[in-house]
Amino acid sequence: MKGLKGLLEENPRLKVFIYAGKGGLGKTTLSAATSVKLSSLGKKTLVFSTDPQASLSDVFEQNVFGKGEVKIAENLYVMEIDADKRIHEYVSSIKKKIIDMYKLDRLPQDIEEYIDSAAAEPAMYESAVYDAMVDVVTEGKYDYYVFDMPPFGHGIRMIAIADVISKWVDKITELRRQAYEYGRVAASLKRSKLTYEDEILQELEYIRGRILKFRDIVMNTETTAFLMVMTPEKMTILDTEKALEMFQSLGLKLTGIVVNQVYPPELASRPDAPSYLKKKVEEQKKYIAEIADKFGKYVIAVTPMLNREPKGLDTLKIVAEELWSPKKRLEDYI
Amino acid sequence: MKIFDKLREVIEGLTVHGQSTAILRVKAQIDNLFMLITLGDMLGVPILPPYYSLRLMPYVFPNIQNWKRYMLRERDVTDLVS
Repeated sequence: MKGLKGLLEENPRLKVFIYAGKGGLGKTTLSAATSVKLSSLGKKTLVFSTDPQASLSDVFEQNVFGKGEVKIAENLYVMEIDADKRIHEYVSSIKKKIIDMYKLDRLPQDIEEYIDSAAAEPAMYESAVYDAMVDVVTEGKYDYYVFDMPPFGHGIRMIAIADVISKWVDKITELRRQAYEYGRVAASLKRSKLTYEDEILQELEYIRGRILKFRDIVMNTETTAFLMVMTPEKMTILDTEKALEMFQSLGLKLTGIVVNQVYPPELASRPDAPSYLKKKVEEQKKYIAEIADKFGKYVIAVTPMLNREPKGLDTLKIVAEELWSPKKRLEDYI
Repeated sequence: MKIFDKLREVIEGLTVHGQSTAILRVKAQIDNLFMLITLGDMLGVPILPPYYSLRLMPYVFPNIQNWKRYMLRERDVTDLVS
């Protein structure tokens, strides 16, 4: 297994590490461990999470939720965005803009309701998260970015439709130009004034830019390592198979898989090992063999099940070292 | 000034009024199409992610009422004739 070190040696231009996978497999732990290792190499690293349950705060034992970029250690920065707050601010700014632009006392009820219901949609939440990702990467303040992705919903389809949306924006822009031309002629005949055409075209360009940039962050294999986390269990094997199918349909390329929460097999071979542990390790071997068979070429590292919660910098370093350059081969776990 | 304005309106009405109405009608159709693509969400036709289409809302705000009325208007066969 080549580990993260191998990935970086193969592709020194890597800047972004994305951890995806379902909840509870240790995405947050691995994201944190990755950032700990990368920052220890003297590279300015940002680890970014959007988890409303503030798990990075737990892992680093410091409340960073919704506080922007917080420095945790030398070169190591954490950002845990509060997506709900972000949506709320965004929506309020739009409402305020309408009220200011048209000097209203308040918004008409149907518009208010529409904006509020749009804000409550789950896709809105995902879009806000992805938009925040685009923000930090575009800003470019860091050498490395580590993203702890939320489990995917419909929003991820945005990358599949990025092209479609881009073409739509072209069409819409063309429509706007036509409308503008007609409007201008009519306005010059009528001597009335046209409003906001330039602003609309600018907004459309902006929207296209954001969507394409997001797709680039997630899909550009030159600069992004897209990693999946799994555990040696039947259910995650099945889930990972499904996820790979979905990625393929989206055109997303998987860079690697990390197998997490693995019991060190040598524990079971000790004479005083309880049968409970032996049984667990036996079962684990079976599933790791299945993982090697199905996803062998993707597996870059195996990280251990710890005897304590993965919290605090010192504990994370244990995971980080295994992740960086694994001491064993995958076969050693079978 | 007032008399000039009145005079201008009269001359406008006699000369370019029909033309500009026709042009405005085409513009209205283009605008409707634009609204459908960007805020179609309001009528259940989602194309742009709402997170982004909301950004356009302030600029098209004055047209929304008319557009919704136009889109949701009941239609019948006689509409096809006109």
